[in-house]
Amino acid sequence: MTFRQFAFNNVLRNKRLYIAYFFSSMFTVMVFFTFAIFAFHPAFSDGAINQNVLFGMAVAGGIIYVFSFFFVLYSMSSFLQSRKKEFGLLMMFGASNRQIRMMVFLENILIGFFATIGGILIGLVFAKGILLVAENVLIISESLDFYFPLLAIAVTFISFIVLFFCISVFVSFILRTKKLIDLIKGDKKSKGEPKASVILSILATILIIAGYGTALYVKGMQVVFAMVPVIVVVTLGTYLIFTQLSVYIIRRLKSNKSFFWMKTNMLLLSDLSFRMKDNARTFFMVAIISTVAFTAIGALYGFQSYLTKGIKESEPYTYQYIPWLNDSEEVMKEDVSKINSILQEENVEAKMEAMELNYFETSTSEELIVRASDYNRFVAFTKDRELHPGENEAIVVQPVEDALSGVSRSGEFLMESSFNLENGTEIQPSYIVESSVLASNGYYVVNDKTYEQLGSPVRNDWSVVWKAKEGQTDQQLIEAGRKLTEQVEHKAYSVDYQLFEINKAFGPILFIGLFIGIVFFVSAGSFLYFRLFTDLDEEKRKFRSIAKIGLTQSELNKVVNQQIAILFFSPIVVALIHGSVALTALSHMFNYDLTIESAFVLGSFALIQIIYFLIVRFFYVKQVKRMVF
Amino acid sequence: MLKLTKVSKVYEGKVAFRALTDIDLEIEKGEFVTIMGPSGSGKTTLLNIISTNDAPTTGKVEIEGENPHKLKKNDLAKFRRNELGFIFQDFNLMHTLTVEENIVLPLTLDGARVKEMKEKAHTIAESLGILSIMNNRTYEISGGQAQRVAIARAMIHDPKLLLADEPTGNLDSKASKDVMKMLVSINEKEKTSLLMVTHDPQAASYSDRVVFIRDGKLHSEIHRGESRQAFFQKIIDMLSLMGGDGNDFSSIRV
Ligand SMILES: Nc1ncnc2c1ncn2[C@@H]1O[C@H](COP(=O)(O)OP(=O)(O)OP(=O)(O)O)[C@@H](O)[C@H]1O
Ligand SMILES: [Mg+2]
Repeated sequence: MTFRQFAFNNVLRNKRLYIAYFFSSMFTVMVFFTFAIFAFHPAFSDGAINQNVLFGMAVAGGIIYVFSFFFVLYSMSSFLQSRKKEFGLLMMFGASNRQIRMMVFLENILIGFFATIGGILIGLVFAKGILLVAENVLIISESLDFYFPLLAIAVTFISFIVLFFCISVFVSFILRTKKLIDLIKGDKKSKGEPKASVILSILATILIIAGYGTALYVKGMQVVFAMVPVIVVVTLGTYLIFTQLSVYIIRRLKSNKSFFWMKTNMLLLSDLSFRMKDNARTFFMVAIISTVAFTAIGALYGFQSYLTKGIKESEPYTYQYIPWLNDSEEVMKEDVSKINSILQEENVEAKMEAMELNYFETSTSEELIVRASDYNRFVAFTKDRELHPGENEAIVVQPVEDALSGVSRSGEFLMESSFNLENGTEIQPSYIVESSVLASNGYYVVNDKTYEQLGSPVRNDWSVVWKAKEGQTDQQLIEAGRKLTEQVEHKAYSVDYQLFEINKAFGPILFIGLFIGIVFFVSAGSFLYFRLFTDLDEEKRKFRSIAKIGLTQSELNKVVNQQIAILFFSPIVVALIHGSVALTALSHMFNYDLTIESAFVLGSFALIQIIYFLIVRFFYVKQVKRMVF
Repeated sequence: MLKLTKVSKVYEGKVAFRALTDIDLEIEKGEFVTIMGPSGSGKTTLLNIISTNDAPTTGKVEIEGENPHKLKKNDLAKFRRNELGFIFQDFNLMHTLTVEENIVLPLTLDGARVKEMKEKAHTIAESLGILSIMNNRTYEISGGQAQRVAIARAMIHDPKLLLADEPTGNLDSKASKDVMKMLVSINEKEKTSLLMVTHDPQAASYSDRVVFIRDGKLHSEIHRGESRQAFFQKIIDMLSLMGGDGNDFSSIRV
């Protein structure tokens, strides 16, 4: 038997050990391939979709690839970890270092090869489903038919064979440095508890508090500037939490004998600290990856809801007509009747209101002043409240703040100006309200009687709005909107049609973001799974030996439960808190309440994690119990 | 104290294997009994049945008039760690714990007070000469030290019955003598009943009685008389009668 045959047989014989590594590799290939099927779809290469989106997809593909690399590398190293002893024995029996490296290399290539093939095959099975989902999320006019993804297969195959080759080379180099004795003692010797420094533990707390504080404090566009520093600070803080603070806490608990020596605490904590180095690394990685996943998906979902609900709410009218400055009255009449006839054609029932907008001279410039009765006619279409200014009173109205619409608010400025009536009375504005009644930076609303005394306006303008009756389908409104936008160019606006266009443009981004978010989340789950099952054999041995002295099932359950719960929930809880802070900051940025969306996204993830925990725990406890009792 | 009546054990498998046949054995309170026999004769099996780690196929085990195999699993676990003490052939120490933590482990599970645990561990460690390694981890101590740690752990809760599977298997003759003296003194001072399996006639000569088994059946037993030296000679004779050269046993074990 040649050594090559030995390596080959080794894989086939130790199936159980290899299967987890194989599956996670295959999963990675599958994810990349599914993405490739989507990205290389002929519908996109026709030029139907814009360059930016294609670029976005290329970047996303790159991220997934780089991520795959680290993911496979990590799976690989935890897989090798659980086989240290085997290598030690082989070496003791005289296998040369070169031979072992050769064996690991061949094994890896073999697993990599089959994982690539398997991933592509499974990907093909799911391809139709993925394309269907994509089609629905994307709102693209062309349908994404199933096609035979030759290009995607080729790209995936080559990329991953290269990836597995690199990792195999890389890993067999790492192995070279390990000493024989370390390999044999492998599972007995702790990698050592990382040093816990009080100062760094305090620093961890400070960094997190500072990061959170900043993220929650900033508003509007500041959020964008604060983002990078906050991310850096919080990431660093998270790292320190897991490598320092947690170690510090465990040490404190361990040194507190009356706690440490109580019931099963000793079993639990000694194990935690024994593996703290591996655990801290896993915790940190899982926390960060999950935070990215939560935030990305939460942000996209929030964004989606903002685009659909938020814009609709801030834009109270179904259709709006705003003429050019120098349009004559005839042109306007013509436009308005055209709009009305289009609405009739499309069977859209809508109420119309029109208002003449007059600009008057003020102490500082020319400003729009609106008659309260006009204002209140428009208010009837919106959710805002009517205004009833008293005689000689002026109320400043400014738009609701919102980062996306990019309007500058001039309420403060208007408050500081004043204007005169014909009889010379100077009118000082009394207070500011926010409303979306008129699409203007800011204006005054005055009592009708006062308005009559304003004199002649310096210029005037018109605003005509329509409000569709409840209960008409979006398709109807959008179709009418499309016609309006096309036929009364740049003067007629339709919210629904605009939203439709925005959704269409953001669709692919949403899809890609969702995809990457889910990939990250699932791989965070696999990291945990690996962490747990790498030590399974050792755990079984441990519980077996305690059971010999006498360990009740309920005690075993308790320890195992706590152990898995700590592993599964401490990084996720950190990630959930990070995520909710990030989403709160995001909602401050758009000034749009994301509480429901965040709660929904984070809650779903928490729920998935709990279910995952229950499933894994069930099998884990079963495995351990079978061995022990 | 301990009473076995017609205990048999059949290992089910592709081919059922009868490891023990109709074993009757009685141990008085405070008695020190050794079991000897060729490799594969069923000694470990017997010890596992007494220690309740394994159930007999037929027959009855009574410890102080109570059949532990009738207990529920949880009560059995409690029974094991309160009434019995084990010294395993492979020590069975936990390498995530320090020596001291290993020793107090059975007590912590029962929620004993820290001060009490510390005192007990200290006393036992002192008498076993392992005080200096109390804070070491198990991979930092020698085989002989590990064996003594295992003994300390088996004794810390003052068990009624101490079961030891080849407790001197890893020790040189000096260390082995120390361990045996230790066991004898526990046996005498605490009136702890002791049941030990060994291949070493030297170690066996410390006990009150040696029971020989062969092919899963009781073969014979000899009692210690006045002199340990004579007892030792009788053991050697019996071993060679049973399976030829006495040294044959010591090399192979399951
Ligand atoms: N779990 C098992 N399943 C099947 N057969 C077993 C099992 N355990 C032990 N045996 C068989 O039962 C017989 C007795 O084994 P046991 O371990 O009791 O021997 P022993 O007297 O302790 O031997 P040694 O002195 O070598 O330790 C052996 O022939 C062994 O092959
Ligand atoms: Mg044995």
